[in-house]
Amino acid sequence: MASGYRYFETVEKHAGLLGIGIAIMVSLGGLAEITPLFIRAQQMAPPANVKPYDALRLAGKDIYVREGCYLCHSQMIRALVAETERYGHYSVAEESMYDRPHQWGSKRTGPDLARVGGKYSDDWQRQHLINPRKTELESNMPGYPWLAKEALDPSDILARMRTLRRLGDPYTDADLAAAPAALEGKTALDALVAYLQGLGTTLSANGTLPDAMLDPSALEPAP
Amino acid sequence: MSTFWSLWVMVLVTFNLGLAFTLFVWGQRVEIPVQPDGTTGHIWAHGVLREGLRKLPLWWVLFSAALFVFGIVYFVRYPGFGSFKGTLGWTEYSKLASDRAVNIGKLQNLLQSYEGQTLAQLATNTQVLAMGERLYIDNCAACHGRDALGNHTLGTPNLIDTEALYGNDEATLMSSILNGRSGIMPPLGAVLTDANITATAHYVRSLSGLSHDAAQAQAGQTTFMTLCAACHTPQGTGNPLLGAPNLTDDIWLQDSDLGTIEASIRNGRNGKMPAWNARLGEPSARLIGAWLYARQQANQ
Ligand code: HEC
Ligand code: HEC
Ligand code: HEC
Repeated sequence: MASGYRYFETVEKHAGLLGIGIAIMVSLGGLAEITPLFIRAQQMAPPANVKPYDALRLAGKDIYVREGCYLCHSQMIRALVAETERYGHYSVAEESMYDRPHQWGSKRTGPDLARVGGKYSDDWQRQHLINPRKTELESNMPGYPWLAKEALDPSDILARMRTLRRLGDPYTDADLAAAPAALEGKTALDALVAYLQGLGTTLSANGTLPDAMLDPSALEPAP
Repeated sequence: MSTFWSLWVMVLVTFNLGLAFTLFVWGQRVEIPVQPDGTTGHIWAHGVLREGLRKLPLWWVLFSAALFVFGIVYFVRYPGFGSFKGTLGWTEYSKLASDRAVNIGKLQNLLQSYEGQTLAQLATNTQVLAMGERLYIDNCAACHGRDALGNHTLGTPNLIDTEALYGNDEATLMSSILNGRSGIMPPLGAVLTDANITATAHYVRSLSGLSHDAAQAQAGQTTFMTLCAACHTPQGTGNPLLGAPNLTDDIWLQDSDLGTIEASIRNGRNGKMPAWNARLGEPSARLIGAWLYARQQANQ
């Protein structure tokens, strides 16, 4: 078997070759795990009640991303009993299909927000965002007081919605036409609160999905 | 999963595991040529370091072999090998469903044993109180405060004092929690002049004996009787059917300074209490009710 040693020696003496070999072996795992899911994501048909964000919520989502809320909040309730007891039904793929980029995250300095919509009143959300210490004495969430003073720019939203439409979001011409007016006179805080109040309410209000959703066949990938 | 993607995964997994295993076996059996000095002849650092020859330690070999065994057993028992479901039939969803069933089962037994008890009876049970407090902190403290004393910034009521917007009897309390409340006071800024508003605010302060300008209060009384008495009653003692608070006591939803009262009159108010039936369900909500009841009793 002495000849076999040649190959080992080659790999041993050429670190680059070793690196390529490792990369190939590791990417085999990725190819097996990720590609089928990619394909499934492409094929996913939106349920009738999942709609793309309206103009105000879309603006709110962009502010959520801009302010980096995802650094402390996830939007992904995992299928674990401790999470479903606390936050409600686990998240399903369809719920974030219009999120670009998705806000699933895994960092939870604060609680998960996937179903926070309707949990509190608009007024609570406002006060809490302006200064979290007003509602939670010991909160370490930063305040965002400037959002209340920041007027939204209605001219900007059209470009964003057109881009999303090009990417496949089913915005109609009527949606686009109505968009700038929906932002008129609104602040960044209004938009963010509207976005938060909609979270997790697309499939059903109040974070409760029918128990039928716990049936695995309901979630089987399309054949 | 379609047949194609199932095969895709199977082929990749088999290839990956197979190749790794072949290298694992072969690598140990390859004969390494030995130089007369007992090394492989590989040198580093100008000859200071030379590569010796050792068999792989047994613990490493066994550990690696165990990983292969683990991987194969895993693919046999659990889903992962293409569309093969695994001999255990395990899925994330059935696991969650059974965990939930265990959880619900435990809770159900407890909650069933509480059925038919009044809040007063429940409030004598320390286990009920412990669960009620936990649920309260999770769901209600954000608005009503950790100790249920209310929050003047949000205008949320104190839940353990003697006065209630709607009523502290069991049916009313539980209805507040399960169905939510929305206390509406219309904005009157467009109807009243600024002077009128200030005068009415003085009158409101006079009702509960707070410092006020007597002449202003006198002037404000007329406005109060025409616009406010319908909800707050002519005496200002409030109407629990509308959730209109009693203005004659020292219990306030918000601060009682002149400016805040003026703002309430000008902009109106709409205290929104969310409904909890869908999130909590009645049996769990009753645990919170019992905890609040116990706090109310202790507070009197
Ligand atoms: C430094 C980490 C941090 C950042 C950044 C942060 N939060 Fe929070 N958030 C928290 C913590 C901690 C809590 C829990 C305490 C509280 O309610 O304030 C919380 C609570 C919340 C809640 C209430 C959730 C519930 O179920 O009670 C909402 C809503 C929220 N945050 C929204 C936001 C938004 C929107 C942003 C971005 C503008 C943001 N947070 C940024 C840490 C953070
Ligand atoms: C988003 C903030 C918010 C949350 C969360 C909240 N409440 Fe309230 N609650 C209010 C407001 C505001 C009122 C006053 C409503 C009104 O003026 O009609 C109120 C009123 C009430 C009342 C009626 C009080 C009275 O004097 O008659 C009760 C009881 C109550 N809440 C209990 C609870 C319980 C229990 C929870 C948790 C399960 C809870 N609340 C969570 C905001 C909240
Ligand atoms: C349609 C009924 C209605 C009318 C009319 C009305 N109110 Fe009210 N008022 C309410 C309700 C309901 C609340 C509680 C709102 C909440 O929970 O946010 C309230 C709250 C208040 C408060 C806050 C009390 C506190 O504890 O902080 C003041 C002050 C007040 N009203 C004064 C007035 C005055 C003065 C007028 C007349 C100019 C008036 N109200 C007219 C229903 C009414």
